[in-house]
Amino acid sequence: MKTPALMQRASLSAQQAMRRPPWAGGRSGLPGMLLILPALAMLAALYIYPLLSSIVMSFVSDAGVGLENYRKAFSLYLIDMLYTVGITILSLAIVFVISVAIAGYLRFNRWPFLNFVYRLPLFIPFLIVGHSMRVFLAPHGILNLILSRITGIPELPGLAFGWGGLVISYVWKQFPLATLLILGAFQSVEDSYIEAALNLGSSRLRVIREILLPISGPTVLVAMVLTFVSTIGCLTIPLLVGAPKPVMLPVDMSFRVTYFNDWGVANALGVISYVIVIVLAYYYLKHMVREEGA
Amino acid sequence: MTGVKATKWWRAMILKLVIITILGFAIFGPLAGTLLWSFAIKWYWPSALPQEFGLKYWANALTGRSQVLDALWLSISIALIVVAVGLLVSIPAGYALARFDVPWKKVLLVLFLMPQAFPQLPVFINMSSIFYRLNIAGTVAGVTAAHLVVSLVYSVWITTATFKSIPEVLEDAAINLGASRVGAFFKITLPLAAPGLIASAIFVFLNSLDEFTGTFFVGAPYIQTLPILMYTASMGYNMQAASVIAIMLTIPSLVFMAILERFLKAEYIRGLGV
Repeated sequence: MKTPALMQRASLSAQQAMRRPPWAGGRSGLPGMLLILPALAMLAALYIYPLLSSIVMSFVSDAGVGLENYRKAFSLYLIDMLYTVGITILSLAIVFVISVAIAGYLRFNRWPFLNFVYRLPLFIPFLIVGHSMRVFLAPHGILNLILSRITGIPELPGLAFGWGGLVISYVWKQFPLATLLILGAFQSVEDSYIEAALNLGSSRLRVIREILLPISGPTVLVAMVLTFVSTIGCLTIPLLVGAPKPVMLPVDMSFRVTYFNDWGVANALGVISYVIVIVLAYYYLKHMVREEGA
Repeated sequence: MTGVKATKWWRAMILKLVIITILGFAIFGPLAGTLLWSFAIKWYWPSALPQEFGLKYWANALTGRSQVLDALWLSISIALIVVAVGLLVSIPAGYALARFDVPWKKVLLVLFLMPQAFPQLPVFINMSSIFYRLNIAGTVAGVTAAHLVVSLVYSVWITTATFKSIPEVLEDAAINLGASRVGAFFKITLPLAAPGLIASAIFVFLNSLDEFTGTFFVGAPYIQTLPILMYTASMGYNMQAASVIAIMLTIPSLVFMAILERFLKAEYIRGLGV
């Protein structure tokens, strides 16, 4: 991870040190800014404006400007907020364990089968994962069909339409990206560190915990934040496999608009989800920095 | 000594078999269920397999003037427009971010990442109310705009990484030999960047083809793309029709997975600046 960045920086400073010949043209900020402008204008109009509008509109309600939407959001959806955070953290913990286990295994062993198979869910869109899990985990779904044949129990409870199905679906969809990123970081750790530790009698588990993970800290952080954000923001999976109550926040947001035409509370819920993401990312970052400092 | 080795070998083999079984079932199980449903005509609990197999639902979806085919063409057309416009704005932006001393470069890159790294739903909700005021809610143009903004990160980041990987010396040499700056870009840099640009186009295409949330809020109920149709069928417990569309949407991803295998190496992801 470090070497290419260093090299890049070295070549950059070499470029800066070298006076460019006149025919090479200017490399100042202005032409660069002009080239970026179309993309940036698009981002500003189609993303930043609606984003700011969601924040501003969350303070506007029939009662005027104020915290009315937030008061309503908390009184109606406090349980859903806690449920959302709980489900997301549980999924995140499972994704972390699975992806570190697979990445650790593949760092020590070459196994093309595993290296290929784990990536499959990466290419299946969230919506399809939702539908497939609906078919797979329903009370009369494929999983129960097989389980009831093995166990001989005719009627088993379904995992779909509850927290279990939600967590399974999120983990199924999210662990490949985390594994891909973490494995990339593990592979860029030099063999000599690992061999030294193994020669001194460390187990592989200990090498993962005390050498690979700390060195790959920043990448693991990025993988976990990406997982967290896409879990907490996903609408399709909870719509298709979630329970009718309690539901994840994106479902509340969507229903607030489509059934109640209540944009203020929907926006307040949106801003609350921004805050949750920022707070957890911040907490995680701080925790990581402290770990590294110790 | 050999005995110890043999038991160790057996233990490793058994562990591998257990992993293959669990992982195979966990990964392929849900997809196999969807595949089976797409070919099922009758499947009542507790039969292990459908009582009646057939191509009825595939035929319904793919022949004549079907809703599914209309949705497929609409989805593909939108995705192609998104790819074209996306590359048109991202190639200059990526080139500038890779080559020029643009102020706040890091901030700009993070800004382009934002739509994928922050909850999207509130943005789509507000986009739909803004588009409604502009009279482009429920139109192809509105849906295309929604798809563009969430795929911008792929096109901008991948083109930036691609242009960074092409040595600047090559351009300088061409200019030294008499080419203009623009000529050097089109004759030297752009052809060398083609693989990366194709990778970025594929990401953008798939992202648009599978996009649901933005289409749902900006396009509903007039714009019926394939994902919207699948969602409606699945929510209505029309398992066969939904499964047929789900398989149709999965095939392009799997085909491109084979193509992208080259690009998806961990080293490449690292090149993206993660």
